[in-house]
Amino acid sequence: MFKTTKSIVQLVILTATCLVISACTNSCSQKTSSTDTTLHFPLASTIKGMDPIQSNSTYSSRVVSQIFTPLFEYHYLKRPYELVPQAAESMPEASADGLVHTIKIRKGMKFHNNDCFENGEGREVKASDFIYSWKRLADPDNRANGFWIFDGKIKGLNEWRDAKSKGEADYDTVIEGMKVLDDYTLQITLTKPYYQLYYTLAMEFTAVVPKEAVDKYGEEFLNNPVGSGPYVFTEWVRGSKITLDKNPTFFGQKYPSEGAEGDKEAGLLDDAGQDIPFNDKIIFYEVVESQPLWLNFMKGNYDVAGIPKDNFDAVVVEGELSDDMKGKGIQMSTYLQPDVTYIAFNMKDPILGKNDKLRKAIAMAYDSATSIDKFYNGRGVKAHSPIAPGIDAYDPEFKNPYVEFDQSKAKQMLKDAGFPDGKGAPVLEYATTSSSTARQMAEYFKQNMEAVGLKIQIASVSWPQLQAKIKDAKAQMWGIAWLADYPDAENFLQLLYGPNQAPGPNGANFNNKKFNKLYEQASALPPGEERTAVYQKMRDIFVEEMPWVPNVHRKGYSLRHGWIKNYKPHAIKANSLKYFKVDTGKRSELKAKL
Amino acid sequence: MLKFAIRRTLYMFPILFGIALVTFLLFNVAGGDPAAQAAGKYATAEKIQEMRESLGIAGPLHEQFFGHLKQMATFDFGRSWSTKQTIRSMIFSGIGASVSLMVPVYVISLILAISLALLVAFLRGTFFDGATLVVSLALMSISSLVYILAGQYFVGYELGLFPINGWDSSLIARWQYLVLPTLIFVVLSLGSNVLFYRTVFLDQMYQDYVRTARSKGLADRVILFKHVLRNAMIPIITVVVTQLPFMILGSLLLESFFGIPGLGRMIVDAIQSSDFPVIKAMTTITAILVLVFQLVADLLYAVVDPRVQVR
Amino acid sequence: MKVASISSTAIDTKSKQDELEKGTSLWADAASRMKKKPVAVVSFWFVAFYLGLALLCALDLIFTSYSVVNNDIAYQAPTWAHWFGTDVFGRDVLARAAHGTVTSLTVGFFGAGIAMFIGTFFGAIGGYFGGKIDDLVVWLYTTVDTIPGILLVVSFSFVMGPSLKTVCLAIGLTAWVGHCRIIRGEYIKHRDQDYVQGAAALGAGHIRRIFLHILPNVFHLILINFSLGFVGAIKSEVILSFLGLGVEPGTPSWGVMINDAKQELFRGVWWGLAAATIFMFFLVLAVNLFNSELRDALDPKLKNK
Repeated sequence: MFKTTKSIVQLVILTATCLVISACTNSCSQKTSSTDTTLHFPLASTIKGMDPIQSNSTYSSRVVSQIFTPLFEYHYLKRPYELVPQAAESMPEASADGLVHTIKIRKGMKFHNNDCFENGEGREVKASDFIYSWKRLADPDNRANGFWIFDGKIKGLNEWRDAKSKGEADYDTVIEGMKVLDDYTLQITLTKPYYQLYYTLAMEFTAVVPKEAVDKYGEEFLNNPVGSGPYVFTEWVRGSKITLDKNPTFFGQKYPSEGAEGDKEAGLLDDAGQDIPFNDKIIFYEVVESQPLWLNFMKGNYDVAGIPKDNFDAVVVEGELSDDMKGKGIQMSTYLQPDVTYIAFNMKDPILGKNDKLRKAIAMAYDSATSIDKFYNGRGVKAHSPIAPGIDAYDPEFKNPYVEFDQSKAKQMLKDAGFPDGKGAPVLEYATTSSSTARQMAEYFKQNMEAVGLKIQIASVSWPQLQAKIKDAKAQMWGIAWLADYPDAENFLQLLYGPNQAPGPNGANFNNKKFNKLYEQASALPPGEERTAVYQKMRDIFVEEMPWVPNVHRKGYSLRHGWIKNYKPHAIKANSLKYFKVDTGKRSELKAKL
Repeated sequence: MLKFAIRRTLYMFPILFGIALVTFLLFNVAGGDPAAQAAGKYATAEKIQEMRESLGIAGPLHEQFFGHLKQMATFDFGRSWSTKQTIRSMIFSGIGASVSLMVPVYVISLILAISLALLVAFLRGTFFDGATLVVSLALMSISSLVYILAGQYFVGYELGLFPINGWDSSLIARWQYLVLPTLIFVVLSLGSNVLFYRTVFLDQMYQDYVRTARSKGLADRVILFKHVLRNAMIPIITVVVTQLPFMILGSLLLESFFGIPGLGRMIVDAIQSSDFPVIKAMTTITAILVLVFQLVADLLYAVVDPRVQVR
Repeated sequence: MKVASISSTAIDTKSKQDELEKGTSLWADAASRMKKKPVAVVSFWFVAFYLGLALLCALDLIFTSYSVVNNDIAYQAPTWAHWFGTDVFGRDVLARAAHGTVTSLTVGFFGAGIAMFIGTFFGAIGGYFGGKIDDLVVWLYTTVDTIPGILLVVSFSFVMGPSLKTVCLAIGLTAWVGHCRIIRGEYIKHRDQDYVQGAAALGAGHIRRIFLHILPNVFHLILINFSLGFVGAIKSEVILSFLGLGVEPGTPSWGVMINDAKQELFRGVWWGLAAATIFMFFLVLAVNLFNSELRDALDPKLKNK
């Protein structure tokens, strides 16, 4: 026994020494050889899976959109956002009444090589594969997150869904509104005009998937994605990193030759007309904690990063990147996001739902300008309505009188609401998630309300619990955000359409007859001035009723290292990584300085 | 001996039943209706009902309990709500990562703590003993979260000695990511470990055999290393064996801060996404593992020290 | 009958006095030993200082600025006005850390208190009665013991929703096992001793024997375990805060301060972490040291060291 102990002690000393000596000789930052074009991309969250029909989070669609291809996409450089064909051959042809749409798809486009195919070689994508993929989206067994985009819109689809749930239909049953004209031609027939259709055909939800892979992997398709996109799924170490490799059989897209104003000068057209993707590999890192994400970016281990809120002042000085950062070759892009953060009221709540003056008093007592400074480092525009910038009906001049912070007016309004100085008002509950920032925002709201005499109790729960609370109409007030799925005000206003009440997307349970009628009217109108006018009428009803306190339209700030070329932020679509180009020479040069 | 072993093994069953009861009460009864969280951006009432049925939480309680027992018996806890993988496959893919962190961590801290504790026991009553006691207590007085934050910031970033976090699927390339978390864990567990083993050794020092040995004129050093260490091995092995399940379970904090895709990380994710089946499965499985390893420890103990059977 | 009862009372009183003397001498003995040890004295005063601080904070007599928001001076580095700088809302970090003492001591006292209460109760009846009751107690604590503490605490907080009350309850309901085991062992030792038998002979009921006769004799163990549980509870609060299951937002808490540091540290805001760590460090260290000295003073085995 004596001997063992001695040798154990020796072993300890030996191991300890080895560790210290070899600690950094190997590599403290990741090895990058001078020809390695791997893109290292951090996701500030873990993701649940890579099935397109479930990709409703910004993080998962970031990965999904590299692997799969929907029919359309947005032009990478042009602004305002413009749809262009991706898996489609050209933009669709619509019938005069706007109900029938005929779409040609690319010939020779192939699925990724995968064991699910004969000989492991991906076969050609046919029009019928799209129909199959959309049926998957509608299949009640799949409980797809994305079904709402087609719900009630396509002839015969809802009927198929009902029949499928009763076991009376299957994937071979023909749906009237989704027809294959030939191997490369599709026809969609709508139940009523749906002007957002083409946008939805650019969303990951509608991307094409091979039946062979779904059959082979079953429920685990989301862990074994097979698509036809620029990158092939290689490996996923769950909770850590996802590796994608360049697809050798990609259908040959080119880098765009036209851009928006200033793109040429910015060097964004240098690679015009070249084959994409440029990089051999993408590694996505699932990094939940912001400290390691930031530190790794600063070491050059990640190519891009957002700016953590608490780090902002050190990075951005008077709207410009700090000299220290510039010296390291780091570059910054800013852009307005088509989104809105807001505090929602449950209109079914007996106190808040019946008292518009109380809601207005709360809105006027909330100092959103300071909250933008504090929580977004001033990165954002004060929101006056649900409609976000970059979208047709958004009017930067529009002022909502009830979101102007004014404590004395708020107190007067509170008195009018029947609660002078908050007397007689019950304690109101504000629900939030439990992350540090969300908790601080809730505290901030509480402080604002207490200043006018309203008592607030904060309920902090997990994200799914918060969602459940909203779906059950059990929450009173909560802070939440909406990021546009496509550049159309309809995507925001449907959050307030009566028939969409909880458990639908209208969590506030706002149900206003006039508003609902206008919504239905607008959905039958093509994009244009007339429709914009209807949207603005709806906005005015919103202001009179204030079912939300609109807070901020956020501004995106993204950072990248100097070796990433062709970078242009895109606020709606996440598939832009195929345009990025890693400058390997510059990478070794700049990384040495970090 | 055999009789003891059988009796001890049979005793597992009431405890297993207890585990089933507690986890069932916690998750199926008190936990409320978790199906509502099926939700995506656009969930419907019918979708939630579907979810409820697919989870086996639609029937009456006794049926649900029976289902729960069946899950325990077959080790088949169904699929995770959020990742849709079978929980079994999630556990298998997480064990490797947890073990490759926890084995070096446990081995190093055990060896270090035992060596230090032996030294302290040898020098008991001296200034060095007192100082070690105070330092150990001081090390225990800082939250483990502080060690991680500070370690990551100073060692990983400021000094740049090791990667800040990360993971590699190959065992060989993985080690560089494991150094920092291992270091941190060893430091944060050192205090309590040294104190524990010091007590174990001191306990032995007051046993009769030590007095006998001393009266025979044996040197303190010989007594300590030859007799005390040998006798102390029994409680040490017991402790190590009962701690094995936690080696598999991994570390909640370290794994989430260092991006190690182990079971600890899996649990934190499950907590944050209210993934009931995963939390339930992990609670149940760990409890069963603990139970089994306690049995093993008890049986080992009985082999080494026949007196325990009398108890 | 009457005579008997009178005499029994008399003897009963006497036996109680015996115990009291025995008890008193143990405590007096320990106290005098403790007084001679500087570490014990210093750590005692530290604990007393924290208690006083918490009391004054709870009564809102000192550090009243802990909830005063001033967004103009958010995240200010330490100055003479704010020794530990300010937090995200410009609140004084020192004042918040001081008020965090209230939260911590509450969690410590109630968490460990509940655990002590449950553990003592089950341990006492199990050890005292033996047989079926004991089997049940052993079954109960073995079951709870096999389930990993952290998962149990998390499950509790999950079910009850995060609040200070939940934190105390969750910790209390999970941490009683070790305590129960020790107390049960002591009761098994004590139940057959002469003084208990004597009390029984004189008509003292089970409840009297359990709580009036044996309890004072094992009280020192309860105290030692309580201080250990106290430290454990304070540290658990930090972990619960990390998992988002801690106290209500807005309540000053070291756990929340440490947890927030994961976002603040790398922008150079170290003072929140520093203040919470320092406050927690000295409290936990003092309790730990006091506990260790107390154990030395009370544990007869190590007495002759």
